[in-house]
Amino acid sequence: MSYFSILYLLAFLPLVIIIYNILPRKIRPIILLIASFIFYFIYSKWLVIYLLLSILSIYLAGLLMKHVNDRRDKALNEEIEDKKKIKTKYKNINKLILLVTIIFNVAFLFYFKYLNFFQSIFHLKNKIIKHLAPIGISFYTLEALSYLFDIYHEKYKAEKNLLKIMLYLSFFPTIVEGPITRYNEVSDTIYAGDKITYQGFCYGAQRILYGLFKKMIIADRLNIFVKIVFQDYVRFSGPIVFLGAIFYTILLYMEFSGTMDIVIGSAEIFNIKIPENFRQPFFSKNIAEFWSRWHITLGLWFKEYIFYPVSLSRVVRKITTFVKKVFNNRVSSLLMGAIALFVVWSLNGLWHGAGYQFIFYGYYHFTLILLGNIFEPTIINFCHKLKINRENIFIKIIRIVKTWFFIFIGELFFNASSLKAGMQMLKRIFTHFTFHSFNKYVLTLGLDIKDYIIMAIALIVIFIISILKEKNVEVRDSLSKKNIVLRWACFYLLIFSIIIFGAYGDGYAPVEPIYADF
Amino acid sequence: MEKLIDIFNELNLDVDFMTCENLVDGRYLDSLTILSLITELEDTFDIEIPTVEIIPANFNSIKNIWALITRLKG
Amino acid sequence: MKNFGKSILFVIIFFVLFVAFSFLLTPQENIKKYGMFKISSYEILEEKENTLDAIVIGDSLIYSGISPMEIWHNYGYTVFDVAKSAELIDDAYKSFEVVIASQHPKIIFFEGNVLYRESKNKPWFYVYQELYKTYFPIIKYHNNWKKYLFSSLNDSLEYSRLNFYKGFKYINKTAPGKKLNYMEYTDKIKKVPRENQETFAKIVDLCQKNDVELILISTPNMKSWNYSKYLGTKELAEQNNVIYIDLNIGNPLKIDWKTESRDGGNHLNYKGALKLSNYIGEYLKDTNLFKDKRNDKAYASWNEAYAIYKDMNNKQ
Repeated sequence: MSYFSILYLLAFLPLVIIIYNILPRKIRPIILLIASFIFYFIYSKWLVIYLLLSILSIYLAGLLMKHVNDRRDKALNEEIEDKKKIKTKYKNINKLILLVTIIFNVAFLFYFKYLNFFQSIFHLKNKIIKHLAPIGISFYTLEALSYLFDIYHEKYKAEKNLLKIMLYLSFFPTIVEGPITRYNEVSDTIYAGDKITYQGFCYGAQRILYGLFKKMIIADRLNIFVKIVFQDYVRFSGPIVFLGAIFYTILLYMEFSGTMDIVIGSAEIFNIKIPENFRQPFFSKNIAEFWSRWHITLGLWFKEYIFYPVSLSRVVRKITTFVKKVFNNRVSSLLMGAIALFVVWSLNGLWHGAGYQFIFYGYYHFTLILLGNIFEPTIINFCHKLKINRENIFIKIIRIVKTWFFIFIGELFFNASSLKAGMQMLKRIFTHFTFHSFNKYVLTLGLDIKDYIIMAIALIVIFIISILKEKNVEVRDSLSKKNIVLRWACFYLLIFSIIIFGAYGDGYAPVEPIYADF
Repeated sequence: MEKLIDIFNELNLDVDFMTCENLVDGRYLDSLTILSLITELEDTFDIEIPTVEIIPANFNSIKNIWALITRLKG
Repeated sequence: MKNFGKSILFVIIFFVLFVAFSFLLTPQENIKKYGMFKISSYEILEEKENTLDAIVIGDSLIYSGISPMEIWHNYGYTVFDVAKSAELIDDAYKSFEVVIASQHPKIIFFEGNVLYRESKNKPWFYVYQELYKTYFPIIKYHNNWKKYLFSSLNDSLEYSRLNFYKGFKYINKTAPGKKLNYMEYTDKIKKVPRENQETFAKIVDLCQKNDVELILISTPNMKSWNYSKYLGTKELAEQNNVIYIDLNIGNPLKIDWKTESRDGGNHLNYKGALKLSNYIGEYLKDTNLFKDKRNDKAYASWNEAYAIYKDMNNKQ
């Protein structure tokens, strides 16, 4: 049951909303929990047992660590001598609990996602048939680990109520494609069982419609073009291949951020606040900024649980202290960051999928970010000397477009069927650079001139909304202050443009959920 | 506090760090700058900043950073 | 309460607009005569009146197995599939009525598989499929906006106005069928259920009155067809004095079930459909009743439709 399906939008979600609202406050979170497990079961059938086992392990580990900490506090109060020793003693116990639970959960992830890949690397002969992974396992695992780490570091207290942990980890809007939430971020609203308000419902519904608009008018329309170009790239000239990469990037953004609109909108109806996953990523001036605006919750996860711990770890510090003595502070912190970034992007690439093209994708972005960091001061200096104002609107646009170019190339590899195919496509862009028969292909691969016009209009609408968001204007707030005729006209326009201009039915093939497979 | 201001002066930020209230959220301090800041702070004030303390709230203003230093020293 | 009233008003306006847009986007050819909902549930009503040579009425076997566009391309006859999945004979009778009211076909083929489906065993999706087809014309015809907007760019006009599948569904999947001995000889007759026999007699009657030749046909189907059903259908055809063509015994079309079924022998895929469509074309040719209309200017739209049909198939 995809979030874009009629089954979800017109049956599942309304049913949950109605049942949720008629039952008393205390039972409402349980309704969400039951709905989440039904949702999961429809997607992954009996793999729901994996989910239960995993949640149980997380829950127990959390409680155990809390118990150990309680005993430590008691011991600290009683014993006066050597507090440090007591602290390390209990810390080591928790470390063990943490490690065992991580291994248990990551083993699942490894089994479902990476076993085939590693078997193929080491040329193991007895290949296992590809097993179906539980839906959203990559997102779920990161979320579960964040809870464990936070409890370990005593950021907040472990949850005693098993049902609460179950709902947090299985919540149906976020289970398939994130956003990766933190327990302390959502725990306030997710268990509140607030009555659904008129405003909350309208805001949620509007957000969902905006997601459908992005997905059905743009992403689904581009799908055939992108599919053909990536499958049969040898048939096409360089500009068409590059256009394929551009279209894929647009498609990916519309699909993924559209899904997030539905996810966040669904939760908003129940008055549950889910963190944003995108902040106008295509306004980024460099790749590092892009990653702070694109798939935000994943970036934050890696920053908090991998980047800082690795860069401030004892081994890295030893290396950098040495470097600092030889060179200077800047070089040492650069090296410190580089080592940590390398680890982050190795994991990030692998997280996106078991395949060389994803690993390449990770290192590609690692290289771009690192180069950015190394040359940033030089460029600033350079601009300073030439008296170029980097905040000038034209310079800004040039920087943004330059960033797009790097993103397009990255996404080309991301969607290539293999690393080899990606390399050949990249090569083709330059070796077969001719506009011969460009027009013919542009207008025959599933898109006619009217499709382009509709997409252009839709993109302009999204662009304007993005600019408003960038200026911190909440579009729904300002719309709700307008008079009712204008307001409703906007809603009807939105709804009917989806129904009429949506790319569904004969001659279109909708995009399969992209991130759900990760 | 003066030592802290010295450290900040060396960072060459695009913003008036004395008054800025969103150093991290406004992306004036990127993760690499935070790393060099942390090593400097640790050396200068002889403290150890654990990774759990590296959250935007602690680094968003020079006042908060000072508060963090005093807390960790005490 | 204020919000409740507002919500109701919002929904009412929504439905008014919904119907208005539906009306606008439904093919306009026969809309005055038959109305939007009827056209939406019978695609054949999108065709100009009295332009079709032959019609095929049946279930999913028909829309998977017979592609009128291929017959047009190879023979120049105008054929149309009137078929929906798990069709019941009562609904098939209604289809006959609609077809005969709007067209004067000389021949109507009727798929024998429908004879054995009893209305008490209605599959769950049947009612839903009917409702959806009839009352949401906008879902089916939404792409006709291309007919209205940016009309100075005429290149895609025909795209949206024409029905380019003529009732066929293009599915190019392959799943081999394995029950190769499905037509093994038996002398047991599986009789057509009594109620269905009666409805069939009504169909025969209707065709006779309107001077249409009715032909019973059982198209290749490994999963649900067998020798005793063949015997039962043959018996019914003889009782009613109707021609019966069986395309299963001895595999006369030489269907390669390894590559020409989409779902393990139940339905033909596109490759299999090419063979069956050519058979129908050849059969119509042998009757000497029809003219090749490929160069007839009045039927130019069929040539345009064929071009789009090819294009669509390649895309999928």
